[in-house]
Amino acid sequence: MSIEVTHRCPLECLHCYNNLPMADTNARSSELTFQEHCRLLDELRDAGCLWLLYTGGEIFARRDFPYIYKEAKKRGFLITLFTNGTMITPAIADMLAEWRPFAIEITLYGATRETYEALTQIAGSYDRCMRGIRLLLERKVPLKLKTVPTTINRHEVYEMQRMAEVDFGVEFKFDPLVNPRIDCSASPLGVRLNPEEVVALDYHDAKRREEYRRLANHDLVAETRPARDTEHVYSCGGGISACALDPTGKLSICVISHQQSYDWRNGTFQEGWDGFLWETRKKKRTRPSRCDRCRIQSLCSMCPANGELETGDPESPVDFLCQVAHLRAYALGLNVPEHGDCPACPGGVHHPELRRSAERIEKHEIEVGSWHPRIASSSLLPVLQAKEGCGTGACGSCASHHG
Amino acid sequence: MLEIEKTKYVRNTGVVSRMIADETLVVPIRGGVGDLDSIYSFNPVGSDIWSLLEQEVTVEEMCAWVTDHYEVSREQALTDIQEFLSELVGTGLVNSVVEASAV
Repeated sequence: MSIEVTHRCPLECLHCYNNLPMADTNARSSELTFQEHCRLLDELRDAGCLWLLYTGGEIFARRDFPYIYKEAKKRGFLITLFTNGTMITPAIADMLAEWRPFAIEITLYGATRETYEALTQIAGSYDRCMRGIRLLLERKVPLKLKTVPTTINRHEVYEMQRMAEVDFGVEFKFDPLVNPRIDCSASPLGVRLNPEEVVALDYHDAKRREEYRRLANHDLVAETRPARDTEHVYSCGGGISACALDPTGKLSICVISHQQSYDWRNGTFQEGWDGFLWETRKKKRTRPSRCDRCRIQSLCSMCPANGELETGDPESPVDFLCQVAHLRAYALGLNVPEHGDCPACPGGVHHPELRRSAERIEKHEIEVGSWHPRIASSSLLPVLQAKEGCGTGACGSCASHHG
Repeated sequence: MLEIEKTKYVRNTGVVSRMIADETLVVPIRGGVGDLDSIYSFNPVGSDIWSLLEQEVTVEEMCAWVTDHYEVSREQALTDIQEFLSELVGTGLVNSVVEASAV
């Protein structure tokens, strides 16, 4: 169960899909209260939920979060925390050492102060993050670090990995796929890496490349592939083994799916799980998709929620994700079997460029180590900076976040 | 009277037990209690004993309860309970309480 306690955050990261200003009084006043969180925890415990993820926004942007967290611990949940680490004080670190989480994951935005703060747009945030990391490490709180590679920090991804693994002695991971915002703004796409950069970054690490090769080989061997659910919109774990609750109590399939939700404040978790989420899971697809016969799904991040965010339609494949997945295969020297009208396959509009990118990656012509900072221009994609959402009315997010 | 006969056992307040899918899971929640990276699960008899340990209880009382509810000799029950308690106390999930009058 993923619980977003707030969307407010002291940072203003260019790539973030849901952050709101700390001073956003509308956001603050609409958040679930401490008492509501306690009721929610009782209901989740009674429903048999064991694993909780608390995320944001920034979880510690809520001053009462330590109290909510301790209430969850007292009920026996196994809890993971996602934070940027900048608001971790000695008192919070002491509390986490006493009431230890299952894991706490801090997102790094750069290995240097300049890069970190170019992405977060907040002076002093790098030092505060480093302080938070040190406070947790000193107390042996189970910490992991991660990053989201963007055009701003792509040249420091592997230095961040070295910092994490060598300097701090903790695990590190990265995921270069940036989503549009849940309020329909596509502004994060202004700092998203292009498919060639994503795959070059992936394959710069030999272990990561071989893991993709293993996944591709598994996908491309027909006999070992399980039958794919082409009947229903959702075939992930959402609504089956997991779900998400936003800061205002809206229950949904996952944290990035907001087209449909259930208002927990007007009911109970069990009603939402048995009713709304079950109905959502049963929702039938309205048409076939080129993804149906695609044989490289393990290389692809496509899901209905990504379709919602990027195209407004959970059943529409996301062109960017098709390009990344196909390039991951081509750069391994693999061909992708024909699977319909695909822009990334032979004859498709993106295919020639993807083949050229694959060749450059295979020949190591792209030197990730020599990449330099590339500062995003706020006027690069002015239409994507819309403050009032997309205006399509496809989802309720615009009203809830900008009303 | 031997001390062991008067020793009572009770759950550590730093653990929480959850019943999930008919299985008792014990989760340490605070520093100094058990292994915080572990969760513990018990078989049906262990779950019953864990229930008894919600309040202070002696080995003799646990043994009587088990022999009343399961087809097992008193000697076998006593051996198994003492072994189980030893593990619970060793991991910090259960505390022993010695009554002053017994010392």
